[in-house]
Amino acid sequence: MNGFAEKFYQDFIQDDRWKFIVNGLKITLIVTVFALLIGVTIGVVVGIIRCAHDQQSGKELTGYKKVILNILNGLCHVYLTVIRGTPALVQLLIMYFIIMVSAKSKVLVAVLTFGINSGAYVAEVFRGGIMSVDKGQMEAGRSLGLSYVQTMTKIVLPQAFKASLPALVNELITLLKETSICGYIGLNELTRGGDIIRGTTFDAFLPLIGVALIYLAIVLLISYLFSFVERGLRKSDQH
Amino acid sequence: MISIKDLKKNFGDNEILKGISYEIDNGEKIAVIGPSGSGKSTFLRCINLLETPTSGKIFFNGEEITSPEVDVNRVRSRMGMVFQHFNLFNNLTIMDNITLAPVTLKRKTPEEAKETALNLLERVNLSDKADAYPSQLSGGQKQRIAIVRSLAMNPEVMLFDEPTSALDPEMVGEVLEVIKELADSGMTLVIVTHEMGFAREVASKVLFVDEGIIKEENEPQAFFNDPKDERLREFLSKVL
Repeated sequence: MNGFAEKFYQDFIQDDRWKFIVNGLKITLIVTVFALLIGVTIGVVVGIIRCAHDQQSGKELTGYKKVILNILNGLCHVYLTVIRGTPALVQLLIMYFIIMVSAKSKVLVAVLTFGINSGAYVAEVFRGGIMSVDKGQMEAGRSLGLSYVQTMTKIVLPQAFKASLPALVNELITLLKETSICGYIGLNELTRGGDIIRGTTFDAFLPLIGVALIYLAIVLLISYLFSFVERGLRKSDQH
Repeated sequence: MISIKDLKKNFGDNEILKGISYEIDNGEKIAVIGPSGSGKSTFLRCINLLETPTSGKIFFNGEEITSPEVDVNRVRSRMGMVFQHFNLFNNLTIMDNITLAPVTLKRKTPEEAKETALNLLERVNLSDKADAYPSQLSGGQKQRIAIVRSLAMNPEVMLFDEPTSALDPEMVGEVLEVIKELADSGMTLVIVTHEMGFAREVASKVLFVDEGIIKEENEPQAFFNDPKDERLREFLSKVL
């Protein structure tokens, strides 16, 4: 036990090494939260464009609107193929060493990379959510004289969001853990923080287990919080 | 009021409607019957443009609604539609289901819409369900709400697409009663149905649609007692 206390002191207390963990955690959270915001924004837009294209093609849209929708759908398709077809780590390296070479902030590079990456997955999650809503809901809205956009925003999207929520939470958890690859561009996030301590004290156990426990705690917290959100959204399902 | 001229509708290579022409006058109650797959639902859905006709014209109060320049949303807001599977908005309370369209389309203020909704709910004896969600209602209750939701827009005509086909037998009566009251109040209606008794009692005209055309059209007495078309005779012998 004496050995444990000594190791703990060396790993976390001596020379304020806990700061690597705390500062790393801060960066991990910043990257996750902002990437999530970007990802959900991109995902909702791309998901809606893809669904609108599938539902509207051949229907009432005519002329230039149809052309624009086709072009947008094509762009979305390319985006989804490229992002989902390549590893996030490769995307991060390309972003850092090729696209944003002159960027001063590694955090910004990470936020953009993960935002764009996660957007592709959110888009597919959201498209699935929209498609899971019975098409009678759209027809009922349209038959009352509501426009496509009005029916979409007031009826279909709220139901699609509810249906997608578990998968969206899953995506958030994946995103949080995936930010651990930021060490590859020298960004000192949580994993890298633990690893720096390991490199200094030559003790692998405590820093790495500590880091793992922190990730686990955040994931548990996220699951716990969203279970309340889901329960709130379920009020329209009660019998 | 509604004038349909040589209406045709294809789904891919499949020709569902092969040229339907018909005139519906103000206040008429048209019952459409026919075997499944005959095109009767498609016919109804073309009237409010939920299906875009492949060719042919439809006039509503003299305006050609099949013209590309027409604002379909404005046309649909004057035609109510009731679906086989109710299609109540699952994410909204009954009250919000009814008031959504009139308020969103600025036909009524939220207060006016709510007042109208309460009156309508009283008419179908469902005042106590205003704050419930659709999932809490029985099929018959849902369909009565669906009718009320359409009525809240003050439509000039009501279209019913097999309104009782998805209901438990014991709930058919309560829904037909509401439709009958509506008919008695002078509303123009077009109803696709398998309820022959109802068609005979309420309809002013009955249409037999089969193989994408109107094979027979007559007043209910003559239609049911003295059918001329061979296919209709066969159909009636099976369902009556």
